[in-house]
Amino acid sequence: MTADVANPEPMTPYVGEAERPRRTFAQQALVDTFSRRGASIGLAWIGVIAFCAVFAPFLANSHPYLLKRDGNYEFPLFRHLTPPDLIALASALLIGIAALLRRRSAMVRLIVIAGGLAILSPLAMLKSTPEAVGYSVYREDEAAGLVSSVIRAPVPYSPSDRLRDISGRAESRPPSAQHWMGTTPNREDVFGRMIHACRIAILIGFISTGIAVVIGCIIGGLMGYFAGWVDIAGMRVIEIFEAIPTLFLLITFVAFYGRDLYMMMAIIGATTWPSDARFIRAQFLQLRKQDFVLAAIAAGLPLRSILFRHMLPNGIAPVLVTASFGVASAILAEATLSFLGLGLIDKASWGLMLNQARGVGTSFSWWLAVFPGGAIFLTVFAYNLIGEAFRDALDPKLRKRD
Amino acid sequence: MRQPLLEIQNLNVGFETNRGLVQPVRDVSINVYPGQTMAIVGESGCGKSVTAMSILQLLPTPPAQYLGGKIVFDGRDLLKLNERQMRGVRGKDIAMIFQEPMTSLNPVYTIGDQIMEAVTLHQNVRGKQAWEIAEQSLREVGIADPKRRLESYPHELSGGMRQRVMIAMALSCKPKLLIADEPTTALDVTIQAQILELLRKLQAETGMAIILITHDLGVVAENADVVSVMYASRIVECATVEELFDHPRHPYTEALFKSVPQLGNDSHRLATISGSVPNPAKFPPGCKFHTRCPRTRELAQKSGDAVEIVSDGERFKVLHACVADEPATNEVTRNHWAACHQLPEYAGSQPTIPRLDYKRQVVTTTTDLQSTLRSQEFGK
Repeated sequence: MTADVANPEPMTPYVGEAERPRRTFAQQALVDTFSRRGASIGLAWIGVIAFCAVFAPFLANSHPYLLKRDGNYEFPLFRHLTPPDLIALASALLIGIAALLRRRSAMVRLIVIAGGLAILSPLAMLKSTPEAVGYSVYREDEAAGLVSSVIRAPVPYSPSDRLRDISGRAESRPPSAQHWMGTTPNREDVFGRMIHACRIAILIGFISTGIAVVIGCIIGGLMGYFAGWVDIAGMRVIEIFEAIPTLFLLITFVAFYGRDLYMMMAIIGATTWPSDARFIRAQFLQLRKQDFVLAAIAAGLPLRSILFRHMLPNGIAPVLVTASFGVASAILAEATLSFLGLGLIDKASWGLMLNQARGVGTSFSWWLAVFPGGAIFLTVFAYNLIGEAFRDALDPKLRKRD
Repeated sequence: MRQPLLEIQNLNVGFETNRGLVQPVRDVSINVYPGQTMAIVGESGCGKSVTAMSILQLLPTPPAQYLGGKIVFDGRDLLKLNERQMRGVRGKDIAMIFQEPMTSLNPVYTIGDQIMEAVTLHQNVRGKQAWEIAEQSLREVGIADPKRRLESYPHELSGGMRQRVMIAMALSCKPKLLIADEPTTALDVTIQAQILELLRKLQAETGMAIILITHDLGVVAENADVVSVMYASRIVECATVEELFDHPRHPYTEALFKSVPQLGNDSHRLATISGSVPNPAKFPPGCKFHTRCPRTRELAQKSGDAVEIVSDGERFKVLHACVADEPATNEVTRNHWAACHQLPEYAGSQPTIPRLDYKRQVVTTTTDLQSTLRSQEFGK
């Protein structure tokens, strides 16, 4: 008997393994996903959208960064930053910090993001903004020769800047040297609005999908783990929710409770979770028979830990695939609602501009259809590309051997 | 006399299936004393794993049902505990390791994370201290460079290493009883020997009891103090390991020993047990082994009290008593229990619960070990 327990030979992994960089399954899946061309293009586009969403006030703003008037320097853009602008910046910063914490677990990163937001958001809310917003004052001052030097944002028009300093009829104008993508019927700059509209697209996509994934994981997880009558009852609930048409529910709620972005997110989330729940249920039905789950139960771990710490990370992959399609459909739902004239009116939105393209009578402003329509198309397409690549990366049969 | 650590008394477990109630564990009684290794031996499907899972109540109910009996651990009947109390027992007092080390670890977490979770749960320590306990437990199971290994993912380890990690995890909370459900079946022979040696060493250090479930008689001979042989849902024989290997009494145990290949034996074919393991849904009446029992067949040749039965397409005579009545696990000789009508001592003996507070003398193999190590050094 080889009894070398007290002094075991050093057990080294296979040579090939030691040389490859160590990656978890999730990291490997991400690398596989974004090494596909479609997904990397998709990710690049989403990156552009996210950048625009975070830095919208710096990209398109009627207020200049820096202004020298009567020998004094002023920073009107910073003075006019609103609490939501600051929260967007803070979130981007925190996500960046979390990404840098490479050696920490996902839980730690989430805590960094959530904790940071919890601290920074109330601080951001304290920021006061000038009550009367005159978009045209700086242009007027400049024209009057009061300003000696000025640094403007790349697109010098805020989304709600109706160019009150310029006389003329309120009508939509085609692209020109001043307005690269034309103007809306309210004489707002389309380019500026396009940039600011990225916020709604990103917000509605991620939050409503996030709501759906959380509800789906909890309900689907319990169904799959307990099986039996819990599963049967849960399945009936899923069928009931699947029967509710999202768009009609949205229209009904907007009609009764007004146009509220967060309500829309909640409704989209609350009606799209069934598909996530189905996926999680199927995964959990399979996982509950796995030895490591049995071993976790035998180790006396509480149900919460078994469900969400041990089973969920092993079964979440297909849900992430549907989630990326879900983000796309949430963006479409909002755009559809805005196009129908039932969306938000105070905020820039791609769907709203599409609606404005169809002007009075038979008039049609092509620039109001092409640019926002193109943005919607590209964004939805990008999410679908990512979702598809992700699905392929997680499919062991299609997995590339490296 | 010492109190047993674990007393299983007349345990009956049933499964509700669409063909009715199937009962894979009947009247099983097992007593395990502190520091003892109890082996449960039997073929696949004889109920040994179900018995083991019942101790920790790992069987999903439904379909499983506990139809009767007691599982007393440290004075508490585990079958009467609720799920919450049971969670306090699992992992802390009784730990379990499984057959498949390849799938028993969660693929998405590092070894350290997984050991830490159990440690923080049961030992009321946190952070750095828990990490040190995890590192120490890896060192105890003989894993080289435990600091680095704590940060490895399961897929980076070999099967033997993973089983060592499983053992480390199970023992990190110092359980009083370890249930090892075929711990070496999935490993190759040299690793098997290492793992079993490791279990022996850790048992000597911690004084825990082990329930070793296996179908490998070699493993039993090397490790067990007391052996319970299970056949078709029942314990058919129970004795100390030496007694059982020297004087097997039940025809099933005898047949098992005959079917083990022996070195230097020139026979052409290995002896087998005729027929197949009965399906738990349709156990034969009477003694469940009568359909395959060579003893009853032989005796039926000469006896007038025989009946003809058909089993596996074969027609043969067996003794009437074997079909009519199910034998109890009687203490046929002192400290040796067997369930067979045809033993001469059976009629005069009493059905009692097997209790054997026995620990075999540890054979020190220091000289062997040193010579092995020396020869290895010379080999290099």
